[in-house]
Parts: sequence; C-alpha cells; structure tokens
Amino acid sequence: MDENIKTEVLEAVQPVLSFWAQRRYLLLIAISVAIAMFLVSVSMALYNSSGAAQLDLSRPGYSAVTSQAIKNDSNFANYPDTGTLDKASIDEFRALYDAQAAKAKAVDAFSGDPLSPTALEISAPATAGPAH
Amino acid sequence: MTKAKAVVIILGAIILGCTATISVALAQSAPMTDAQITQIKTSCLSVKDTLAQLHANDALLRVNRGQMYESMATKLMTRFNNRVDSNHLNSKYLVAVTQDYRAALTIFRTDYQIYEESLSSALKIDCTKEPVSFYDAVADARTKRAQVHSDVIKLHQYIDQYKTAFDEFVTGLMNFTGSGN
Repeated sequence: MDENIKTEVLEAVQPVLSFWAQRRYLLLIAISVAIAMFLVSVSMALYNSSGAAQLDLSRPGYSAVTSQAIKNDSNFANYPDTGTLDKASIDEFRALYDAQAAKAKAVDAFSGDPLSPTALEISAPATAGPAH
Repeated sequence: MTKAKAVVIILGAIILGCTATISVALAQSAPMTDAQITQIKTSCLSVKDTLAQLHANDALLRVNRGQMYESMATKLMTRFNNRVDSNHLNSKYLVAVTQDYRAALTIFRTDYQIYEESLSSALKIDCTKEPVSFYDAVADARTKRAQVHSDVIKLHQYIDQYKTAFDEFVTGLMNFTGSGN
C-alpha cells in the first residue's frame, strides 16, 4: 500500500519528458558526429583543392621517395634586407645568387617524355595493321 | 567597311577556335590499332607500375624544386629589392622581374596540380577493361607534363633575367657613385 502511494507521488513530481528530451544524450552524440563529419569534409575539400595533397609525400604510394625530400633548406642563406648597399653587400648578393641560381637551374625538371607510348611500351608493334 | 572588317575578324576567330578544338580532339583520340589495344591489356600491370613510380618521382621533384624556386624569390630576390628600396634607390626593374617570376611560379604550381590530377585519373583506370580510355588519359597527362616542363624553363629564364637586371642595376649604381665623386 505504501509502495503504491510512493510510486504515485514520484510520478506526480517528475516532469513529463518529451521524446527528444528522453534521448538527449543520443542526440548530442549524433549532432557531434554530424558536425565532425562536416568539418572533415570541408578540410578534405580544402586539402585537395589547395594543392596541399600534391605536396604531401606521406600519402600512400610515396613511401619510397619520402626520405629523399629536402626537409631543411638551411643551406639556402637569407640575404639581409636591411643595411647599406655598398660593394661588399653587392658582392655578397652576387655570390649567393649565382650559387643558388646554378643549383636551381642544374636540374631540368619534368624534362624528357616518360609518358610517350614508346617509353611506356604501349605503342603499336611495327608489324601491326590498322584496327578493323 | 567597318562591319565587313568585324565580320572577317569574327569569322577568323571562329575558324581558328574550331581548328584548335578539332586538332586537340584528334590528338586525344589518335587511332589505335587492335595490336596496340592488346599490347596495353597485356602490359597493363607493368605500365601501371611505371606510372606509379613516375607519379612518386614527380611528386618528389615538385616538392624539392618548388622549395628551391620559392626560396629564390623569398630569400634572395624580394630581400635584395627591399634593401635597394630602403636605400632609396630605384628597384623598379628588379621588382618587375620578381613579380613576373612569382607569377610564373604560381602558374607552375597550378599546372603541376592539373598534371598530378590527370596522372592520378589515368592510374585509376583499369587498363585491362578500358584500354582506350587509359591510353587517352595517359596522352592527356603527357600533354600536361610537357606544360609543367615549359613552366620550369620559364622560371629558369626569369632567374637569368633577374641576374641581368641585377647587373644593370649595379652598373647604374657604380656610374652614379662614380659621377657623384
């Protein structure tokens, strides 16, 4: 008898929660996941469109060349952009510029034709006739 | 008379545009022989392997050369221009060459991105099932790679041009200093 009264009192005191209020933690998790997915999509779009993806040598397929990337160009000295411009400073710039220009031009990057059918060995054999 | 000239110019532009479009289309859909299709299907795996290696090597080249070209502008050209400017000397021609160099560098970056995307697309094609599409995709990547090489040549030209501008600046400065004495 006392138990029944207790239950009735508790039901009267407790507020009636709506469907979503009862599932508020689930809702919180779902919204958090949705926001995280949206932000990841935006960052992936930026990663691909900005050109960062092309410079990212940690991507799969680049492991063989990752170690060959120049990580520190401290050998490339900064020319001081303040101070007087006398013969010594001009000579210093000339020496720096000539050395770095020679390095920059030493490699004829992207030269050759490695994508030609001949280089890839997908050109038509000499004896082949035209397609039917 | 003016109308006739305008019509001739418009017609000329249309003909030139059509010719360019047709030549690009013809270049992309070069006739393939049955033997060539079979050849692509047979050597599909080895070709894809070669392309994957080229893809990785070109990425490395882009990272290392790009860094070098960027440093030429930020660590040398711009800094020397600032120094000339802070000494109240005329750096107009040096600045102009630097701007051209930076513009060429931006084009190089964009063209490399376009080439990389093109090569990645070619790598995604199953050459055993779609040999013709694969061949066309590789041909497209080949054209775009040639464009990147042409950008590199332009960058080298601007590096030389800056040196010429620098030498002219120094000659002018020495003459000025000499006349001032």
